[in-house]
Amino acid sequence: MFDWLANPNRFNRISEKMQPCILLIAIITLISGLYFGLFDSPKDYQQGDAVRIMYVHVPSAWLASFLYFSLAISCVFYLVWKHPLADLISSAIAPIGALFSALTLVTGSLWGKPMWGTWWVWDARLTSMLVLFFFYLGYILLSNAFERKIDGSKTASVLAIVGLINLPIVKFSVDWWHTLHQPASIIKIGGPSIDDKMLLPLILMIFALSFFSLYMIILNVKTKLIEKKCEALLLKANLEEISKAG
Amino acid sequence: MSLQSSFIQIFISHIKREFLINFRSLVDVISIISFMILIVILFVLGIGPFEEKLRLVSNAIFWIGLILAIIPSLEKTLQRDYDNGWLDQTITSPTPMEIILLSKSLAYWLIVIIPLIISLPLFIVLLDINLKLIPWLLISILVGGLSISLIGIIGSALTLGAKRGNILLPILIIPLIIPILIFGVGVSEAVRINESPVGNLFLLIGFTLIYLVISPFISAFLIRIAISR
Repeated sequence: MFDWLANPNRFNRISEKMQPCILLIAIITLISGLYFGLFDSPKDYQQGDAVRIMYVHVPSAWLASFLYFSLAISCVFYLVWKHPLADLISSAIAPIGALFSALTLVTGSLWGKPMWGTWWVWDARLTSMLVLFFFYLGYILLSNAFERKIDGSKTASVLAIVGLINLPIVKFSVDWWHTLHQPASIIKIGGPSIDDKMLLPLILMIFALSFFSLYMIILNVKTKLIEKKCEALLLKANLEEISKAG
Repeated sequence: MSLQSSFIQIFISHIKREFLINFRSLVDVISIISFMILIVILFVLGIGPFEEKLRLVSNAIFWIGLILAIIPSLEKTLQRDYDNGWLDQTITSPTPMEIILLSKSLAYWLIVIIPLIISLPLFIVLLDINLKLIPWLLISILVGGLSISLIGIIGSALTLGAKRGNILLPILIIPLIIPILIFGVGVSEAVRINESPVGNLFLLIGFTLIYLVISPFISAFLIRIAISR
């Protein structure tokens, strides 16, 4: 099945048809999610209007971790089956994932200012999100650090997989560190049970941001495919010139 | 001679080789220790010479100094062998690259840890570390040092032949080292506040065992990529 999908031309053809649908779903869910989230959902009895930050914060946190997972999976595909498309996909995912983890940190600290009184708390969740951001950063930096693109892709793929092994350990150890130093004093967002009126926009926003990032990834991959085609054409033209001159 | 015993021989001879390279000149060893002392001095100057304050953070300073002192010399461990063609030669030999890399990381661990243990009294004096901590500190730096060098070999293999590898290396491996810092400091912190440090120590050992298993394979894979270019 993956062989079938790995053909760049086929990918182009399929994505051509899928892209408008994905964008449409993203826009519809984004608008309805924002409407329900900002106007038609109850205030939290403790947090007031600030709870609405959650509708951006939680989906981006979810996406940041999910995108890292898919980045590592596509790196596995690249290393094992050596599909060039898998490499393009993982290099397309990385900046978007980094963006979402940064967004999580920013929205989290915007929420933290009125709630906790500070922009930043060395809470376990915040710290592991920060570490996740640095894993993305390391992947992007390493994949651009070599003379030849392919060396960077291979090496950075290994880093992404090592990161996937290491992230649960980091998460666990940061949790451990936090509980060792001070008892949990932070209000869990939404608490154990969440009102249906709040759950609806949350789910809508998760869909919206997921489809939006899928759209961006496909766009990114297509751009990279075109770049590769341009490079190949240039190379061909140069070769022809050389053979003519020779 | 059976295959197994020949592997062990190769393993030991590689460790010997690393030892000879590093202890003949002693430059690396001296620079690691003096770098660590300087980091400690910087921390103390930054915090101020207040004994109560220092006692609270001395474990953390010791561990951060240890990690920061090890990182700069990591880049050279494989890069030197890569540049002079030693790695190309060994990859064609029948010995698996994994065994060579395991011996390399064990040798690197010993090279870092022996001078550190010798100079431990100095740090105990400088940082005013409680005497009852010493056995735990010793065990935790032995175990933690092993996992730092195992991760360091991965980092060193990742940046092999990269542009600005020396700047890239810390960015890549510091996130991987976070658990070691947490558990390593956790061991001595637990002793300091009169709790059992065994939990933290076991977690540190477990973490090290994970890397002992995966690190040689990952770095061998990376070296094959680097050699093939």
